[in-house]
Amino acid sequence: MSYTELTVWTRGIIMDKEGRDIVNSVAAAARQEGKVTQAMENYVDNPDRTNAPTRKYCRVSDSDIENALTYENEHPNIVALVEQTMVKGWDYLRGMPPGGTLVINTHYSPEYMVRFVPGPERLAQLVCVDAAKLADHKWLYYRLGELGLDRLSTEGAAERGKLIAPDIAAPLIAAVVKTTGIVKLETIEPMIANRAAFRAALSSLHILQVNPAATYAAYS
Amino acid sequence: MSTKGTHIAEWLRVPFAGITPAPTQERGQDLFPTGNWRSVRPVYHDKMPPCNNACGTNEKIQGYLDLVKRGKYLDGYALIKEDMPFPSITGRVCYHPCEEACNRGKYDEAISIRAVERFLGDLGLSLPQDVVKPGPPNGKNVAVVGSGPAGHSAAYQLARLGYEVTILEKSPRAGGLNRGGIPDWVLPQDILDREIGRLIELGVTVKTNTEVGKDVSWDELKTKFHACVLAVGLTEPNSVRAEGEGKPGVLYGLPFLRDIGMGTSTVKLGLRVAVIGGGNTAIDCAREAFRQGAQEVTMITVESNRTEMPCVPEDLHDMLEEGVELLHGRAMTAVLGNGRVEALQLHPARFTGAINASPIAVDRKAKTERFVADNVIIAIGQHASLNWLPEEFKTAGGTIAVDQFGRLGETNFFAAGDVVQFGSGQPLMVVNAVGSGKRVAFNLDKVLRGEPLRPRTVPVDVIVDLNRMNMTYFPHFPRLQQQTLEPVSRRRTQDEVIQSFSEEQAVEEANRCFSCGTCNACDNCYIVCPEPCIVRTDRSNGLYKILVDYCKGCRVCIEECPTGCLEGVPELDFDTGVVRMDTAFAITPGLHGRQKEQLAELHQRPPKDIENWR
Repeated sequence: MSYTELTVWTRGIIMDKEGRDIVNSVAAAARQEGKVTQAMENYVDNPDRTNAPTRKYCRVSDSDIENALTYENEHPNIVALVEQTMVKGWDYLRGMPPGGTLVINTHYSPEYMVRFVPGPERLAQLVCVDAAKLADHKWLYYRLGELGLDRLSTEGAAERGKLIAPDIAAPLIAAVVKTTGIVKLETIEPMIANRAAFRAALSSLHILQVNPAATYAAYS
Repeated sequence: MSTKGTHIAEWLRVPFAGITPAPTQERGQDLFPTGNWRSVRPVYHDKMPPCNNACGTNEKIQGYLDLVKRGKYLDGYALIKEDMPFPSITGRVCYHPCEEACNRGKYDEAISIRAVERFLGDLGLSLPQDVVKPGPPNGKNVAVVGSGPAGHSAAYQLARLGYEVTILEKSPRAGGLNRGGIPDWVLPQDILDREIGRLIELGVTVKTNTEVGKDVSWDELKTKFHACVLAVGLTEPNSVRAEGEGKPGVLYGLPFLRDIGMGTSTVKLGLRVAVIGGGNTAIDCAREAFRQGAQEVTMITVESNRTEMPCVPEDLHDMLEEGVELLHGRAMTAVLGNGRVEALQLHPARFTGAINASPIAVDRKAKTERFVADNVIIAIGQHASLNWLPEEFKTAGGTIAVDQFGRLGETNFFAAGDVVQFGSGQPLMVVNAVGSGKRVAFNLDKVLRGEPLRPRTVPVDVIVDLNRMNMTYFPHFPRLQQQTLEPVSRRRTQDEVIQSFSEEQAVEEANRCFSCGTCNACDNCYIVCPEPCIVRTDRSNGLYKILVDYCKGCRVCIEECPTGCLEGVPELDFDTGVVRMDTAFAITPGLHGRQKEQLAELHQRPPKDIENWR
């Protein structure tokens, strides 16, 4: 029986939609493949505050999900960080069984990033993808005045765009799917709005094999 | 998400996933620690302002302008004196590269830095005692050959370091180029005398009428002193090698000015004077010629127009105001006259390569021009007189051979000023000579103390981009102009042409300074921070601190810093001292297990009494 947990760490308001797109698209694709899935967001993190770290969860299982009512992913097999500096902030790998995957949106190399990862021995692989560059995202996160552009993408408000993964979520989804096989690429690709960035990412991943012996142990 | 006002059953009480307490409730602070929201961290990082960088002696210009703003004139004066021994002189004569580099020049008009420096320099001279004191004596003596800007600067810095300094000056009066190359109406002699007086107050001995090679030999310098700084300057005028150049009435620029400066001049100029050359000395000669009785002064240059002339534009402007005529694209090929100068023979000429740095091509086939003149002053540059120097230390270009530290081989001899900077591409200006003297003094000190010499570091972060500052804080404001004497009246007097700033004017001008890239304690960051996580003990540069535990990285302080000294450094660049929060917001790992057990037992619990649930 295969059961996989994906936790996406992102930042409130300005990058909220990116995190949501990742868990929703992976869950939807898995459902198309006949799996039992869940995707939800975490409200306790106070996601309605700019820059506040917040989490999105996805569960994919071959059978009924036993802990469907628990609010958090206790043992994430895959963790994705939508923003690179989050690598330093929290123990986002807590509860991760050996053989996990960490995906980071960053222009730094995995060799540089691994020094910030808490307990990297749990990881089978560390994947870095420069999603902001691949999605040609020029304005996000850098200038204070520009943050206002994306305020509508938070909870309870109208979405800025209805499309799934129009921006930097697309390369991150490609990284998650290609390196873990949580769903098939051909299932998820039709859902992605920014397919150019999605495809570009498939050949632009920087993967560091941290503890390969543990690879797939968790999935068996 | 606050749980305030919500009824929570005992078994669902904190800590339970999904229902977390408000920060005001019990354990709320543990579960909602603030901080670590940052992707960038604000960091105070003072950069090099462009004015400081452009200054030949790297005066802390932004620093003293800031002190003048606050009315701390003495502090400002003391700050200049760290790098500049005579601000009252450079406040008058400097070619102010700082003002060319001033960022304000790209916005409206550059700040009148030289005028503020002069204000502070004059203030310092008016004090009964200087603020600078000699260093504790270290028992070593140093000879400085030459009392011009470089020698003065080296002697000053060495005295501050505790050396017993003796200046050897071949002229009857100290001052070198400051006295012999700068006319009285630019730099009054009494100002120079008082600045030299300040140097003597520091304990420096000045021996005039002492020429190296004549009164003191090279070997004596070597044996009598622990070290020696050669700042002999370029004293010998260049010749144009024109026919009849030896005729009476032919004068050379620097000796002409020097004799007037030293008070030994016997020159009586005719009514029509021609000046050969287009540099600063030529301009001073042309303007001085009026004051020595000439009625018509014409400047003859090889440069084809006035923009190519290697001079300070505002001096050129003042010269033209006084009525000097310009004749471009010509070279003097002969001095005509029977027994004395009556006319000059001119041919069209041009530089064969880069302006002022290449040989001159004279078109001798062209028709000659006869220019009537009673006197001609030749001011086309100078060279050094180094007969006394051992051959091994001479360069092919007629200067002293030094390494990058200004040192002559492995000896304790150093050289500074024009005699080493000539041909290096550095303009031969007072402030550059002062900078050279200062650096050599510090290098000499290191050598005598047995410390290794380190090459001069090039500042990497000079703010030249206005976008790095917040220009909304700076309204446009015109530059204050210094008053000048009327052109007609000043032609016949030795009175100073450019007037000083008053105190109000100096403050007003200093207030225009952007403080590019440097904290000037404006308190803006302190005020705008939404979490008050910027603290300071006192309102001063260097005393602001950011409490990174509370900083959310919102960047407000960075955006609102007027000067651009606050910058956002990506958190990932701090790869040491990683601060990780183990209790990320809601739940600790152990709670999940408990939650699971509670859910498993859910069906065993009695149903809620909806009616009386409170």
